[in-house]
Amino acid sequence: MNALHLMAELIFMPLIAFIVGMMMVLMMRKISARLQRRIGPPFFQPLYDIVKLYGKDTQISHGLIHDIGIIMAVGGYIGAEILLPVPGMEGIAAKGGVITLSYFLMIPSLGMALGVGQCANPNGSIGISRALTAMLAYDIPFILVVFGAAWHYQSTSLIGMIEYQQVHQWGIVEMPLLAIAGLFALQGMLGKQPFEIYIAPAEIATGPMVEMSGKYMGGLFVMQTFQLYTAGVLYASLFLGGGTSFLTLLPKAFLVVALPMSIAFMFPRYKTEDVIRILWKWPVMLGLISLAFIL
Amino acid sequence: MKKELKIKQKERTNPLAHVFDDFIRFCQSKSLFMLHYCTGCGAIELPPAMTSRFDMERLGIQPMVTPRQADILLITGYVSIKTLKRVILTYEQMQSPKYVIGICSCTVNGGMYWQSYATAKKLNEYMPVDVYIAGCMPRPEAVMAGLQRLKDNIRNDKKEHKGSAWKDYFKRYDYYLGNQQALFGEDWQTPTDIIAEAKLYGLETEETYGKHTKLLEKHQTPLLPQEMRIK
Ligand code: SF4
Repeated sequence: MNALHLMAELIFMPLIAFIVGMMMVLMMRKISARLQRRIGPPFFQPLYDIVKLYGKDTQISHGLIHDIGIIMAVGGYIGAEILLPVPGMEGIAAKGGVITLSYFLMIPSLGMALGVGQCANPNGSIGISRALTAMLAYDIPFILVVFGAAWHYQSTSLIGMIEYQQVHQWGIVEMPLLAIAGLFALQGMLGKQPFEIYIAPAEIATGPMVEMSGKYMGGLFVMQTFQLYTAGVLYASLFLGGGTSFLTLLPKAFLVVALPMSIAFMFPRYKTEDVIRILWKWPVMLGLISLAFIL
Repeated sequence: MKKELKIKQKERTNPLAHVFDDFIRFCQSKSLFMLHYCTGCGAIELPPAMTSRFDMERLGIQPMVTPRQADILLITGYVSIKTLKRVILTYEQMQSPKYVIGICSCTVNGGMYWQSYATAKKLNEYMPVDVYIAGCMPRPEAVMAGLQRLKDNIRNDKKEHKGSAWKDYFKRYDYYLGNQQALFGEDWQTPTDIIAEAKLYGLETEETYGKHTKLLEKHQTPLLPQEMRIK
């Protein structure tokens, strides 16, 4: 019975992530449309896009590593989903903890790098080298944030952190500086302006995605849904007290994801070295100050 | 040196196959990624069609930047002979099902460049065109109406067979290749092996082959991966 229960959770947690993630994609596109005074896509647009991409007649593979790269990119996030506790379902979160989770979050970028490498398109290579550099940039503040939060809650388990916040106060009240540093890292992680140099559609033709087509592109669209969900729920669990039910958790997660998109259009696009400079300066400084308070 | 590709068509045994097909066709008509190849002055009507005045995204149409990702190839205006080569290369790199829209009178019949020696007159002699939008230049309303027509064609393809013009390129490759050779010379060759693709889709007919494809075979040099080297 217990194994069966776990199996069901392992299936349902990514599934919920996928559905919620699609709504987040829709929300992002709606926000950007409204900011530009457009109407934006219809409700089921993310689903149509994914089905259409998987249903293409031509599917061009550039080789085995290309296939494996995409599987790694999606699989890394599926692994992350079952480590991310949601109300009523814990998956293997009790065994994993937030450190394992942050390792899992790096797998998709590495998978993309592998897959794009085999496409042998120079735009792709430029894009992925920029993406990996950006990952190096936002991972330092991200790790600081995770470390600080884990120290403050005296636990590396997300379940423990959520319980602590529900008894005491939300993390954002107790460590506001760390939460701000987390928002910086989030902007970089989601690749929104000003940190979107590696996509740059007009200059390097969407960088890593340049040779992706059909189901490979579909895989990346699925990955994006997971990415938004993971970012939203992780931030909500670290700083906004998680939630006792989906009704309290999901609004927080949506709010967290809506923030980067809403401020994105205010910024220009920074060069890769400027991305590193900014991400290693401000959020790291904020993180270190706040660590000094916590320790 | 040419390696024969072994290609087998798989039998479809799933009883629900046509339900899935219908669903996929529905989604295809609802989500179209567009590569706009802005060849001529008609391109100026695209920004209003895409941005807040007419907002293409509410129809599920988004701009994309590479032929690999795109479903629609939008040709906006006169096509010079030199550009046509690039258009054909781009078209052949796109993934089927793929659609071509010719905006502007110049793509329909040469328009006011009819007497020019440097432009290709009728686009559908070189690649199958799904929808033409005439006008010099057509207003954004006309562009939107044309895109809407394409969506309807795709949705009703089963009944009316209007949304699968791309198959024509494989079925009558010899005709298109002939017209291309007439413009670009006998040794015209693209990196894509259309005949192998036609076999893959099971779309080869008698008209796929002909004297022009024979000519192509004579000149065709095998495509080898380019050597990667820093000079
Ligand atoms: S039809 Fe008119 S607007 Fe369009 S490309 Fe030709 S000359 Fe330009």
